[in-house]
Amino acid sequence: MWRKIYLNLLPVIAVAFTSCEKVIDIDLNDVEKKYVIEGVLTDEAGSATVLISQTKNFSDNNEFTGVTGAAVTISGSDGSTTALEEVQPGVYQSTALTGESGKKYSLSVETDGKTFTASATIPAKVNMDSLYITEDYLFGEIRKTANVQFKDPPGRGQSYRFIQYINGVKEKRIFIRNDDYTDGNSSLVKLRSPGDGDEEIKAGDTIKVQMLCIDPAVYNYWYSFLSGGASGDSNSASPANPVSNINGGALGYFSAHTLQTKEVVIQ
Amino acid sequence: MKQLFILWCMLGGLTGYAQEKFTISGTVKSKRTGETIIGASVRSGNAGTTSNEYGFFSLTLPKGNYLLEAGAVGMALHTQSIVLDKNLTLHISLEEEAKTLDNVTIVASSKSRSLSSPQMGIERLTTKEIKNIPVLLGERDVLKTVQLLPGVKSAGDGNSGFFVRGGAADQNLILLDEATVYNASHLLGFFSTFNSDAIKDVTVYKGGMPAQYGGRLSSVLDIKMNDGNNQDYSVSGGIGLISAKLNVEGPVQKDRSSFLVTGRRTYADMFLKLSNDSTLNRNTLYFYDLNAKLNYNFGDKDRLYVSGYFGKDVLKAGDTFGLDWGNATGTVRWNHIFSNKLFSNTSFIISNYNYNISIRSGANDFNIFSQIRDWNLKQEFQWYLTPRNNLRFGFNSVYHIIRPGEVRPANDQSSINLALLQRRYSWENGIYATNTWKASDKVNITYGLRITGFSILGEGDFFEVDGNGKVTDTMSYKKGEFVKTYINPEPRLAVSYQLNETSSVKASYVRNVQNLHLLSNSTTASPTDKWVASTNIIKPEISDQVAIGYYKNLWDNNYELTAEAYYKDMQNQVDYRDGADVFINSDAIESQLLFGKGRAYGLEWQFKKKTGKLTGWLSYTLSKTEKQINGINNGRWYNARQDRTHDLALVVSYQLSKKWSVSGNWIYYTGNAVTFPAGKYRVDDQVVFYYTERNGYRMPSYHRLDLGATWTLKQRKRFSSELTFSLYNAYGRENAYTISFRESEDDPNKTEAVRLALFKFIPSVSYNFKF
Repeated sequence: MWRKIYLNLLPVIAVAFTSCEKVIDIDLNDVEKKYVIEGVLTDEAGSATVLISQTKNFSDNNEFTGVTGAAVTISGSDGSTTALEEVQPGVYQSTALTGESGKKYSLSVETDGKTFTASATIPAKVNMDSLYITEDYLFGEIRKTANVQFKDPPGRGQSYRFIQYINGVKEKRIFIRNDDYTDGNSSLVKLRSPGDGDEEIKAGDTIKVQMLCIDPAVYNYWYSFLSGGASGDSNSASPANPVSNINGGALGYFSAHTLQTKEVVIQ
Repeated sequence: MKQLFILWCMLGGLTGYAQEKFTISGTVKSKRTGETIIGASVRSGNAGTTSNEYGFFSLTLPKGNYLLEAGAVGMALHTQSIVLDKNLTLHISLEEEAKTLDNVTIVASSKSRSLSSPQMGIERLTTKEIKNIPVLLGERDVLKTVQLLPGVKSAGDGNSGFFVRGGAADQNLILLDEATVYNASHLLGFFSTFNSDAIKDVTVYKGGMPAQYGGRLSSVLDIKMNDGNNQDYSVSGGIGLISAKLNVEGPVQKDRSSFLVTGRRTYADMFLKLSNDSTLNRNTLYFYDLNAKLNYNFGDKDRLYVSGYFGKDVLKAGDTFGLDWGNATGTVRWNHIFSNKLFSNTSFIISNYNYNISIRSGANDFNIFSQIRDWNLKQEFQWYLTPRNNLRFGFNSVYHIIRPGEVRPANDQSSINLALLQRRYSWENGIYATNTWKASDKVNITYGLRITGFSILGEGDFFEVDGNGKVTDTMSYKKGEFVKTYINPEPRLAVSYQLNETSSVKASYVRNVQNLHLLSNSTTASPTDKWVASTNIIKPEISDQVAIGYYKNLWDNNYELTAEAYYKDMQNQVDYRDGADVFINSDAIESQLLFGKGRAYGLEWQFKKKTGKLTGWLSYTLSKTEKQINGINNGRWYNARQDRTHDLALVVSYQLSKKWSVSGNWIYYTGNAVTFPAGKYRVDDQVVFYYTERNGYRMPSYHRLDLGATWTLKQRKRFSSELTFSLYNAYGRENAYTISFRESEDDPNKTEAVRLALFKFIPSVSYNFKF
């Protein structure tokens, strides 16, 4: 994080001179299409969802059509296998499957003669103790910030993700945390990033936060998603695709996690 | 054995024409300041030598009468007739070249590059040469001047980092009074740690490094500080747009001893404070440097130098974030002249680099500390063995302590645990011997060998890591236990052949070994980039470089043409796995790394005008740098980030009148190799980018014109001053600093590329004075 703060100071300094940002044309090569799989299974009923799509060229528009007709199953470590139904083009779901902590789940996707597999374990649930708002100073601005408080269980290996919704709209920013430096402690996560241009939180807004206890491999996916330039910013000298837990050469991830939600209305 | 044989032949040859010979030895100094002069030529006819890094020279000639000539950059030629019928000690004082003459002559470098010396791939600069080159914000900077030389490339717009012959930024050995400087940049790399007011001499070795240097693959940048005026007190200083400097020097006892103290501090943050913009005025950002030196002559044979450098950057964002970093070096040196042919130097050196981060954010308050520290002992002898043999030998022993990262909670309420990465200890030893042999009037050969041993010491845990980066085994070592020792011989060979009076050809081979590696995975060098020592898994980096060159002096030595070609092969290069976390809370940093090889080759040309009202040079480099690492680009060879096909610099300085001089430089280079996305896809309800190939694209080509002017104000008896104006990027080229990709702000259904350009039309003025 400190590195990010440091790199974010660069534009601040540059502003003091005459930096300028401009949209430019770059001729990027066309690319062979690749499958993108985003699989999610939570401990809430009817949550199993797998999205299948493909990559597009940079110059194409941002409408990604789903891949239809795939055979998608999720099997639990107890031997049960559930087939997911295609409810929309490229969207596969099952209402019959509910994930359980401690169980390992395997995803299998077959399409166009290719098979992709992935597995993830739902960790034990760690309780989100509270969600509250503070006013924090960062880079010259006082901003309302959502805080999540929880108690990390002893022993390293827990990983978390937080998803923030402002008035029901999901925020794009990825918030992740593991217990590498905070093992066994009462932990506080501030849902903001240095130098970001997030939507400002105002009085009257409803903030909803989901806390996910995730598999360490999925943490690694999001970590490399953030550091590797997947979102297109170029601080990394060697941007690369996130490290996926899917075998067979697809992009994306398969996350099996617990889910807990809290809401707060800004005073 | 072969060398011994050659030596025997030499000595044998000597007795063959036994003629009585005597030695002239002594030091070359500046008359005005008493500063010793490095690389001054002392010659009589065809026989000659150059002063060493402490100004010492030794020249052995047959008995007779001679007209001795001594000269150096910016100094008037000194001639003296001598009767050589016994050994002589001679202290030569050179006068500075007078500028008051009507026909102003400026010697931009020693008039003729040594055609006879086998040393190639070398560039030498004095602060006089740096002075007139226009720079960003008027801060004269040796590292930025070095970047204008062929084969040396800037790390980015306005950046003081540099790449030499395809090497990475960490493959440059940067020495300040012999002490290693681990991070030579201030303020996001825009300024170097070297305050040009304190510097005497800068020598860059791009290839053919002499055997006394070792430890880095690509280059040696050897910077020597001024010793301090031992004739008279002198104060000089400057006030510029972003910084002020002051230099005080003088004799402690005239002729015997002197001191020097130089300081510099930036005050850009004062402007930030004046700003109404709250994003700026609560931030702090400054750096300072302090150089100090003391030297003392104990009679004619002994001289002691104590010098030190201390610099620090401080950066704060309100109360929530703080980062400070800096180098500290200390050098104690003792010169002893055993005889008129044997010169000795003993150095004891400490180098330190560390950074501190403090984060204050409610319940997560913590500090991070990291440090690298060296204790270094060097002993060197220079033995002017015979008129045809100049032998140098010695050893170097360094103890490195690296503290990779220490996270400490700032208070009892902090949720952050104490996390101390293991300290890493290593002991680096080198012994070397090198001889420069004047084989004939036309052929000179330098041959030498350096043997380095790098011992990794306990205590600590070391690991075995499998192909996926998973730790498979942990081995624990006790305090002081040897984990592993790498021994590498590094042969060095250089030959010159003088074709005629004005031209020569040279060839060289050098092997270099590097045991300290910098892990940096961002486009901008960061103070938190991590130094790691070789381990059982991280092998010593090895490079083999061959080079050939052609050198020609033209038009009565007023112009010179240089062309060199090189090929460099590099082994055990370090790179990162996809998604690597260099700040991982684990001692097994190797789990994040990949290893492979590299190769670099190129052609370098320089055409230089050295004298007259108009001086300057045109340099051009055509080069290629590639890497091959299993796990990146399917193991294919690919362009290294610093690969640039063309690199051109034109540097011109013109003395208009006694009062005014103007200068300009124009730079052009091919953009760096860079990784751009090949496509895009949707994950987590957002558009993300898909990468297929590392460094498959190029940044747009870079070019820039800088202009400068110096106005020498009225000179009084003791007081002189000048105003320097500069305009950086005079035609406002928007050079891409970064290119990033995002969903279009105008049309969310599209994606776009965004170029960030930093510096455009940066004018500056600074005032310098001296009394």
